[in-house]
Amino acid sequence: METVWMLPPFGVGEPKEVETTPAVLVPLLVAGWSQCEPPTTKEEVTTDVHD
Amino acid sequence: MSTTRLQEVLIAFGKGKQTDIATAQGAAALWRFSKLNGALANPRLATENDADEYGKGHEFPTQTFKTSWDVGGTLEKHLGAEIAAWAMCFGLGKPVKSGSNPNFTYTVTPLLPANGDLAELPYFSFVEQIRPGAGVVLDRQAVGCAVESWQISIGSGPGRANSKISVEFVGSGKVIDSATGITMPAAQTEKLLPAASLTLSINGVDYVTSKNIVSLETGWKNNIRMDSGFFPGSGFQSAGDGASGAIRGRLEFGNRQGNLRFVARFDNGSTEYTKLKAQTTGTAVINLQFDVNNSLQVTWQKVSFSAVEIAETDQILTVAVDCLPMYDTSNGVIQAVAKCNVDGICQ
Repeated sequence: METVWMLPPFGVGEPKEVETTPAVLVPLLVAGWSQCEPPTTKEEVTTDVHD
Repeated sequence: MSTTRLQEVLIAFGKGKQTDIATAQGAAALWRFSKLNGALANPRLATENDADEYGKGHEFPTQTFKTSWDVGGTLEKHLGAEIAAWAMCFGLGKPVKSGSNPNFTYTVTPLLPANGDLAELPYFSFVEQIRPGAGVVLDRQAVGCAVESWQISIGSGPGRANSKISVEFVGSGKVIDSATGITMPAAQTEKLLPAASLTLSINGVDYVTSKNIVSLETGWKNNIRMDSGFFPGSGFQSAGDGASGAIRGRLEFGNRQGNLRFVARFDNGSTEYTKLKAQTTGTAVINLQFDVNNSLQVTWQKVSFSAVEIAETDQILTVAVDCLPMYDTSNGVIQAVAKCNVDGICQ
């Protein structure tokens, strides 16, 4: 299943990942959602010092 | 003395979109196509003069003033997957790109400002050259162009002429009229979307399976507000030179319109007139394909018939139907799903 990231109308809210089928995309586009880059993860990765 | 044949003209335009209306695209951002029509994108300078002013002692003009610049043109082409994807993206304005090589998919709808979208379409640069270099005849670039309309025509017959697209574009007026410095890219390989590949369903009837379709036209017009592009501060042909003529600082779409008209054979059981009287609504789905990776599907989400005229085509009874594209609450007016091998269109 292929997906893209979409930004809510007026850029307000969190992006969400959706299927790329027209049945999913078109109602979102009409409602004001637009394609955006995937969000960059902000989780900090630390090395396990016990390894 | 040498002559210049119009067939020498090379055109290229932005595959991706400009960063803003005034920033020209470089060669790397352009793609090159052939075209069918000879019309050139001539810059037009509007001037005014001082003929009506008092204090000169006569009614004759003594000087002129550059008022504003205009540029625009029309591209007529056989309908291919690449130009179809480009026209949908730039003409409707809101694409979602998905997929990967060799199957990039552009799912496109019109912009809806009420839901937070821009009122400006994506901009592109348009370049025309004839013998660029030492023997240059023409070398110019229109900056800040937008698609005013596209129109697809499908006819009966085996030739390429039975599947065409016409794209009209307008510009901000900003023009680099010599020495663009652009080296034309290689011509884009195009995948024709022939009429013979058509599948078509309108208002509940499959006109291809029934072998009844004769011809079809469908299109979109943005009715761009050209005059409102000139606003205080919209800019000049030469930045900072108030005598060089004003250019537009925006190209906003106006009252947009879709159109769909088709001619089909009319026989016992044909339902077009009945649907006209009942104002029956349904979708219209038009699909053309080169292969699985190169296709165009245009869906009008809700159409009714606005005119039905029974006549003849080659002495066969036919019906010409005008459809009225309407707005569907969930899916809007139109969606286009354009597939091609090319990445980065309108990105």
